[in-house]
Amino acid sequence: MSERPAPAAPTGRQGWIAWLERRINLTELFSLFSHFGLVYTPVDTSRPLREALRDVAAQPVPTFARWPRLLGLVAAVFFGLQALSGLLLAHYYRATPEAAFASTRLIARDLPFGWFIHQMHSWGALLLIVILIARLARLYWQGLFRAPREVLWLSAAAMVGVVALLDFTGRLLPWDHEGYWSVVRGLEVLGGMPVLGGMLTFSLGGQVVNADLLTRSYVMHVLILPAVLAGLLYVTFATLRRVGLSPESGEAKGGSTSFREHMYAVTILQVLAFGLLVSVAVLVPFRFVAEADPYSTPGGVRPPWYLLAPYFVLERLPGFAAGWVALLLALALLFGPFLFRGSDARASLGRARLWGIVLVVVWIALTAAGVFLDRAS
Amino acid sequence: MSAARVLFAALVALALAAAGPAPRASAQEAADGRAGAGKCGTCHPRERVAYASSRHAQEEVRCVSCHGGNDRALDVGAAHSGSFKGRPSRASIPRLCASCHADEERMRPYNLPVDQYALYQTSGHGKALARGDTRVAVCSDCHGAHDILPPSDPRSRVHRPNIPKTCGHCHGDTTSASGAISGKPTYGVYVKSVHAHALFDRGNPNAPTCVSCHGVHGAAPPSMGSVDKVCGQCHEVERRYVAAGPHAPERGEASARPQCVTCHGSHEVTAAQPERLASSCVDCHEADGPQAKLGERLWNDYRVASAEVDQAADVLARAEAVPLNTEDYQARLEEARTYMREALPAAHAADAQVVESFTQRARAVAREVQSELHAKLGNLQLRRLLLVVFWFYLIITILILRRFQKAPRRG
Repeated sequence: MSERPAPAAPTGRQGWIAWLERRINLTELFSLFSHFGLVYTPVDTSRPLREALRDVAAQPVPTFARWPRLLGLVAAVFFGLQALSGLLLAHYYRATPEAAFASTRLIARDLPFGWFIHQMHSWGALLLIVILIARLARLYWQGLFRAPREVLWLSAAAMVGVVALLDFTGRLLPWDHEGYWSVVRGLEVLGGMPVLGGMLTFSLGGQVVNADLLTRSYVMHVLILPAVLAGLLYVTFATLRRVGLSPESGEAKGGSTSFREHMYAVTILQVLAFGLLVSVAVLVPFRFVAEADPYSTPGGVRPPWYLLAPYFVLERLPGFAAGWVALLLALALLFGPFLFRGSDARASLGRARLWGIVLVVVWIALTAAGVFLDRAS
Repeated sequence: MSAARVLFAALVALALAAAGPAPRASAQEAADGRAGAGKCGTCHPRERVAYASSRHAQEEVRCVSCHGGNDRALDVGAAHSGSFKGRPSRASIPRLCASCHADEERMRPYNLPVDQYALYQTSGHGKALARGDTRVAVCSDCHGAHDILPPSDPRSRVHRPNIPKTCGHCHGDTTSASGAISGKPTYGVYVKSVHAHALFDRGNPNAPTCVSCHGVHGAAPPSMGSVDKVCGQCHEVERRYVAAGPHAPERGEASARPQCVTCHGSHEVTAAQPERLASSCVDCHEADGPQAKLGERLWNDYRVASAEVDQAADVLARAEAVPLNTEDYQARLEEARTYMREALPAAHAADAQVVESFTQRARAVAREVQSELHAKLGNLQLRRLLLVVFWFYLIITILILRRFQKAPRRG
């Protein structure tokens, strides 16, 4: 595929990289890695790693590529952290109703630094959802669903869905009281959707929360959904490489900086994000109270916070209508923005933004209603 | 044999058949009491309905068993003839019931006691009745007349939770104006007591009702000097400690020594109020005497120990929320609570050393639990400290990154 690498650079320094370079194409490995973020420009795999890196570092990057345009990259790193902490948790976690709670408690309570890993994973999931939702809002606001970035939008919207499912399946795994019952409730909402719901409950093995469902949630949580998310990350960065970063009107002439400097800025952002996660994980204990009791439904069971708004509506609709409304909401999230098209790009973006604001306000109002009204009843 | 004689014989046979023992009532009739009521229910439907669901209907105690007369006659004159007694007088009711219920042979199949009548005669009710006061309770006032039900039946007036109301019918404040015997609002006082709370609100079937202290058929107020025995039926430990202390029943003059009711009251008895250890002594003793001081000391001991146990429980709850492993400490805290539970009865001995033997042990356990939990929670402070160190290095990392970022421009 790639050409034979050129002989090692005649610098005279015959370090271990050069030694390795003669035996394997490190540049190719690097380009593979860069598919999941970091480098937006194509990498010339025919050149030695040092040269290729120097090339990449010298690439110009527009100065507008700064916070908050880099939420996708932060999400990618958070996903990596989740994978790492999840891997560690999986060493002790046992996915059966009898052992799930005890093994999670063992991790969170008795293992040295188990609490830290558990907390990092719990809060990391929450922050990941928040980051991806913020990113979706940002893409929508700047009209990045318009040609040629439709695929970017679709993958971003799908990512929110996948991470929500990851959170949903992950909620069940500790088999604690709150998680268990919020999954029972959430399954009623999600399972009511005409096609997607059927697919979801089929792949989870039904709507009854039992040992089978726990095992399948575990498989989805640690194998299937992370693989899908990794694929979506790849798609995201692949579109970036094709269509480039998107300047907002009037920002294009903001000048450019080198990729090297850009990478340092990105790294600082990642370090800050990591620091935030560690601080939250250490300071705020995630709720982890008592083992699930399938025979006693606690009062005021509600789905997770990001499902509160649809739940508030669906709860008040007859079953069949609720399912259709939920399905339409999911489809609207994916394809809705594509409805805003027209000859006047500016006007259609304005309309899209207006609708977006209306949607967000309605969503927040419904969530608030779900929090306060349903608690009162 | 002439035709006339045959006819006569046939008539006699018919008449004998009609007057002879009636065929056994069908099971259905027996079940709804129609058999026992005979034809009386035709004119007395209300009594028949009440009787039909009663215990007596199931055992074929018939109308005529108590009222006499003939229950197969539809004619008033014929029915109310012969042994007919009509409505038994109140004074005669105990003896009437006793005619069966004091009969050992009759009661043996039911395994029922036969001493109720004898007990009744020793009761306040029985003695007053013997003096000719017919306003006092007789059997039917508590058990009902036609609708007698076993105590196990929740509809029964003598079903345990219904007993206070049954007694309160005469001994309550609600009926005292309408010619009740006792003017004291005993029922109204009782329903506010800790005993009634246990019986009604917490559903404790063993909680004391009126009869637990006063007796059932032999109902009478506990006599002077027997109060500690009555209360001691349930409050054994308290009684033992009282007996070991200066208030023991056999010490001092009968009139001067306190009974349980002296401090706790009788019908109005409330839940244990440890703070009254400090205030009750002065009811009998001098305000600045050694006894009052002892009371204050007992209360102080209890209060301090109780506060320490509560404090340990708070720390435990904090540790649980972390989560830390607290199972071992829960068991030890329960041990401390057990000592505290024993300390209150022990206060009845009015001896500081006895009480302290419990409060000191409770405090020792609570302190131990607290200090060990604090050590564990101290590790959490260490986490926060490490977080500060972590941020220190994070900021240094960021500064170094900034420097590298700017380096080419400088060079």
